[in-house]
Parts: sequence; C-alpha cells; structure tokens
Amino acid sequence: MNAWGIIKTIIIGGSTLVFFFLLWFYNPFKHVEHYEVDEEVKQIIANPWKKTESGKTIAEEGRELFINFCSSCHSLRYDGIYLMSIQTNPKWKKIEKSAGRPVYRHGILYKDRFFVPKDVYEAFAHDELQQLKASLGQVPPDVSTLYLARGEGYLYQFILYPGKVLPGTSMPPMFNPQADPQAKEKVAKIVAYMKSVNTPPPKEQMKRNIMGILIIVYFIVAGLLLWKYRENLLKRLGYH
Amino acid sequence: MGLIEKIIDWVDERAHIREIYRSLLVEYKVPKNLTFPYVFGVLALVTFAIQIVSGMVLLLYYKPSIADAFDSATYTIMGEIPFGWLFRHIHATGANFFMAIVYLHMFTGIYYNAYKKPRELVWIVGWLIYFVLILTALSGYLLPWGQLSYWGFIVTTEIPGSLADAPIFRDFFKAIAETIVLWMKGGYVITDITLGRVFGSHVLIYPLILLALVGIHLYLVRAAGISNPDGIEYDKKKHPDKFVPFHPYMTLKEGAYVMWYLAVFFFFVFFHISHFLPPDNFEPANPLKTPPHIAPEWYLLAFYEVFRSIPSKFWGFVAFNALLILLLLLPFLDWSPLKSARRRPLFFIAFLVFMFSSMALTILGSMPPTPMNAKLGLIFATLVFGFFLSLPIISFIEYGWYKAKGGEQQ
Ligand code: HEC
Ligand code: HEM
Repeated sequence: MNAWGIIKTIIIGGSTLVFFFLLWFYNPFKHVEHYEVDEEVKQIIANPWKKTESGKTIAEEGRELFINFCSSCHSLRYDGIYLMSIQTNPKWKKIEKSAGRPVYRHGILYKDRFFVPKDVYEAFAHDELQQLKASLGQVPPDVSTLYLARGEGYLYQFILYPGKVLPGTSMPPMFNPQADPQAKEKVAKIVAYMKSVNTPPPKEQMKRNIMGILIIVYFIVAGLLLWKYRENLLKRLGYH
Repeated sequence: MGLIEKIIDWVDERAHIREIYRSLLVEYKVPKNLTFPYVFGVLALVTFAIQIVSGMVLLLYYKPSIADAFDSATYTIMGEIPFGWLFRHIHATGANFFMAIVYLHMFTGIYYNAYKKPRELVWIVGWLIYFVLILTALSGYLLPWGQLSYWGFIVTTEIPGSLADAPIFRDFFKAIAETIVLWMKGGYVITDITLGRVFGSHVLIYPLILLALVGIHLYLVRAAGISNPDGIEYDKKKHPDKFVPFHPYMTLKEGAYVMWYLAVFFFFVFFHISHFLPPDNFEPANPLKTPPHIAPEWYLLAFYEVFRSIPSKFWGFVAFNALLILLLLLPFLDWSPLKSARRRPLFFIAFLVFMFSSMALTILGSMPPTPMNAKLGLIFATLVFGFFLSLPIISFIEYGWYKAKGGEQQ
C-alpha cells in the first residue's frame, strides 16, 4: 500500500472505530444521572453472598428486611415474594403450588419459594392491589428486575430518600438515617438482596468469565493458525 | 480412514459433491487484489447464521403473550434455563452486529462503486435485504416487552402518522396515515394480537424472506462476478494473473477474519452486553408510564435525526423516506463510466462527506433534541442529500474526462 492508501485507511477505518466506540462503549454527548452509594456501605452491596456474623449471607438478611419493610406494598416475584396480605392467605399457598413452580435460578433450587405467572398473581391479588392503588395513586411496581433497570446507586438513594430522588413520589421513606444509625446498612442490604436476585453468584460468574476467555482465545488462535496454514499452502501452490 | 473414505466415495457417487465443490469453490476465480472490506459480506452471512441458531434456542422458551413475554425472557431464559442467558446475549449482540456489518458492507459497496453495471441487481436485492432487516430488528425489539420495547414500538408505529400533517390533500393523507398506523399496530391499542403477529413476523416471515433474498443476492454476486477495488473490470481469460481460486486463496483468508470477528463478537457477549440489552428494558412495559427519553436503536438514529430536525412532520417523513429511495436508486444516480473511489477524486470527497454526515446524524440522534441539535441535524441532512444529488453532476464531469481520454477504461 502506498502512503496515500495508508492515509485513506487511517481516516476511514479510524473514524469508523471512533464511531462505534461512541455508540457501544462511551458516549460523552449522552446525558446520564449519577447516583452514588455511600462509601461506608459499598462493601455490603459489592458481595451479597458474603456470610455475616449471624451465619446468614447478606442477601438472606436483605431478603428478611425486604419482607418486613417492603412487602406490604411491593412484590418481588422472581424470588417468590408476594404482597404480605396475600402471602398470609392459605388459599394462595395452594395456588403457588398448582399454578407456580419452585424458584430455580442459576442452577440453585429454592424449594420454599414459588414463581407464579404474572396474570395468575394479579388476578388473585386484584383487590389488594386495587386498595394500594386507591391509597397510593398507583400500584407499587414489582421490583424483581429493578436492580438491572435502575442500578445500585439509584436504588440506594431512592430507598433512603424517595422524595429527593423522585419528587412527588407516593413511596414513603421507610428508613431514617437521623434516627436509626443502622438505616444505611439496612438499605444497602436490601439493595444487595435485589442484586443477588438479578446477577449470577460469584462461582457462576467465574465460570462465565472463564468460558468467555477460553472462547475468545480459541477464536484468536484459530484465526492465527488458519493464517499461518494459508501462507504455507499458498507458498506450496506458487502464489504470491 | 479407509471406511470414512469409502463412505465419502459412496455419497459422492450419488451426490457428486466433489464436482460441485470443484466447480463452485476451486474453479471459481476472484480478483487477487480484494481489500479487507470485502470480508463484510461473509461476516454478514456468518452473523445471519448466528442469529438463526440462537433465535431457534430462544424460540423454545419465549412466550408471545403480554402476561408472559417479559418473564419468559428475563426470568426463564436469563435464569432458569441453563445457558439461556448465553443465547440471549448472543442474539442481542448478533442483532446489533448484523446491522453494523450490513452498514459497513453497504459503505464498502458505495466506496468501490460495486453497485454499477453489471451489479445493479446485486445492489437492489441488497437494499431489499437491508429493508427487511430493519423490519426484523424492529419486530424483535418488541418481543422482550420491556419499557423500551413497548415505547419504541409506539413511537415507530406513529411515525407514519406524520403524513396526516400534509399541507395539501389533508383528508387523503390522513386516511393513508391512519391506515398504515392501524395496520402496523394491529388495532387501536397494543394487545396480545399485536404481540402475536409481531412475534410471527420476527421468527418466521422475515427470516424466510431474508433467507430467500440472501440466496438471490449470493447468486447474483456469482453471476455478475465480484467487483475490483481498482475499478477495472478485468477479463478472467485475458488476465488470468489477476485472479486466484476462491478456495483456498480467499476461503482461508476470510476464514481467519471470521475467527477474529467471532473473538470480538464473544467479547461483547461475555463482557460487554449492557449496550445491547439496555438497562431500561429490564423494566416491564407499562402503558401508563412514558419513559423520559425514548429514541430508536442506533441503526435508525440517522433517519430519526433527519425526521425530527425538519420542523414539519410531514416533510420530515418524506425526507427520510426519500433517503431510503435515493439509496435504492444509487446505481442510476451515479451513471459515470468510472468506478471505485480510488480512481474518482470527486466521488471520494463526496463519499467522505456522506460517511461523516451519516455518523454525525447518528450521534446527534442520540442526544437531547435541543434547537442547536436540530440546526446541526438539518445541516448534515442537507449534506447527505447533497451527496446523492451531486452524483449525477460528478458523473457528468467524469463523462467529459472519460471522453477526452478517448473512452478508455485504463
Ligand atoms: C407504602 C407502600 C410502600 C412501601 C412500604 C415501599 N414502597 Fe416502594 N414504592 C411505592 C410506590 C407507590 C412506588 C411508586 C413510586 C412512583 O413511581 O412514584 C414505589 C416505587 C419503588 C421503586 C421504584 C422506583 C422507580 O424508580 O420506579 C423501588 C425500587 C421501591 N419502591 C423499593 C422499595 C423498597 C426496597 C421498599 C422497602 C424498603 C419499599 N419500596 C417500600 C410504595 C411503597
Ligand atoms: C443479510 C445480509 C447480507 C449478506 C449475508 C450479504 C452477503 C454478501 C456476500 C457474501 C457478498 C460477496 C462478497 C463481498 O463481501 O463483497 C456480497 C456482495 C455484495 N453485497 Fe451483500 N450481503 C448482505 C446485505 C447487503 C446489503 C444490505 C447491500 C446493499 C444495499 C448489499 C450489497 C452488496 C453488493 C453491491 C455486493 C457486490 C460487492 C462486489 O461485487 O464487490 N449486500 N454480499
């Protein structure tokens, strides 16, 4: 290739790479809100599967906190948590077993929790959901996937200070960092729990990473070998 | 070894595979000087195969009903089914890569003027592929039934409604607009019926059409012969030194490129999926809650930016459709006897203007709609139209040069 060819390649190839970098890695022109988790509780959210002094994992503690503080308004169907008023209904227990199936996620079976199709649940809980709507203006959403949709910084700030993050929201603040020194820790545990429902546990993540690296290395090496093989073959066939 | 050979012989005696292999791959000669961008056609083919295979796996678990769609994708496929996440990641990455590769493939064709005689039909069928591919991507995007899916679909299906904004024959255009919108949505509100037909289109109708079109496309490429980056149609008989056998010369080279392409592909699948499965789409569709910013996917942003930077909705709609049509008519706008940007300085400049303007429109489309952005959008839209409309003029000038040189190709 002559000099002009190299310049053209750099202009066209380079701008194409920059273009896709903007689209698929980082676009400084796009505006995004940032929410931060407080430094002192970052560790809690970082690894929900870590055991605490109580012998339970952070995620398990977060789950209990969620049931106590949030399940009066929110369901978390992907982990078998339904509105508290429903969960205590003996009929629901039967429906869970007949219409639902035990929660099974990333190779782990949770025999005590049931995943029930949305329409079955919403039909059964119709009255309760409508009552919530009447008092809060809307049905509080199921929060199964909100960890993925909102990110941990947003959730942490929103659960601590709902009105500050989402002005005019009808979700009440459930924790008060002024009165309760453990408020931030509790919220962090709830966020950690929501994370544990939506992300694979460390062992599974490790498997995925290894699998990914092996596949990528395989294709790079296979490409190199093909290239080498081709060069030898072409030499033998008298091309070049 | 002996047995395998015997089996192959047995099959070959009946199916004549070796003969076909010889005539289709070895005796098929391609130009020796093909450049790297010529690989994009093959990469598109590979990506198409990836989409079909990963799509078939997803099809086993996806449920096309409003109550179940979101959960079947996000709960069942992502968590319950072993490696379900992998296939969803692959399919989402594949969709974006497919569009990217097809764009690169089209720009390659434009750069080397591969749409010119005798390859006009290759280009036209390619354009049809592009069109159906957009429909496939749009329909697939609705299926996970997240907020972006739902609102993206609403916005897209209402764009033809802009026709109702016509300056004249208002009733006429309004009737057309309403019909198109109704037809795309499958009713006045989006229900299971809409989802069902979008699902059917995405998993069966569009892929079948694509399969047929890709087959015709490849046949036409073979029939017309691959273009030459030099812009010169060498005769295979007179210049055998300019050609090489497709196999092993090209197959091994492109094979290596395919491997490296897959390495990049799987980097995204395993380690960088968030741009292809965007966070906002992990919130189930909620018809009562409009998300703050809805924009089409990146591969439509250029058209979207043209649409929204023109103050009149009607003319915006006309403008972006005109762009699509101009793209189709490219072989006829550019009637110059010269081929390939390598030998056409004027065309080379026009190409750069076109490429950078398309990129700029795409990036602008991802930004908030400020008056400044609308102004920039208008400028770049004008440049893109300028590219297409300058082609007949450039062709006219080049025709003069060509005649002055005595009508010689070289
Ligand atoms: C009194 C009922 C109530 C309780 C208790 C409650 N919430 Fe909410 N929550 C709501 C309502 C109502 C909304 C909808 C707010 C809106 O969109 O304005 C909401 C919204 C949310 C959202 C979504 C915010 C968004 O950006 O869309 C999250 C996450 C959430 N709640 C988490 C929690 C957690 C965690 C708890 C337990 C600590 C909790 N909520 C307790 C009523 C409640
Ligand atoms: C499913 C999508 C597509 C597939 C699988 C595909 C495949 C191919 C392949 C394998 C080639 C041969 C060599 C090369 O890479 O240049 C080719 C050539 C070509 N394609 Fe496509 N293509 C697709 C879409 C398109 C589109 C959308 C266009 C343009 C609108 C297009 C225009 C062309 C042209 C003009 C050629 C001739 C290139 C030449 O002779 O130099 N293709 N295509």
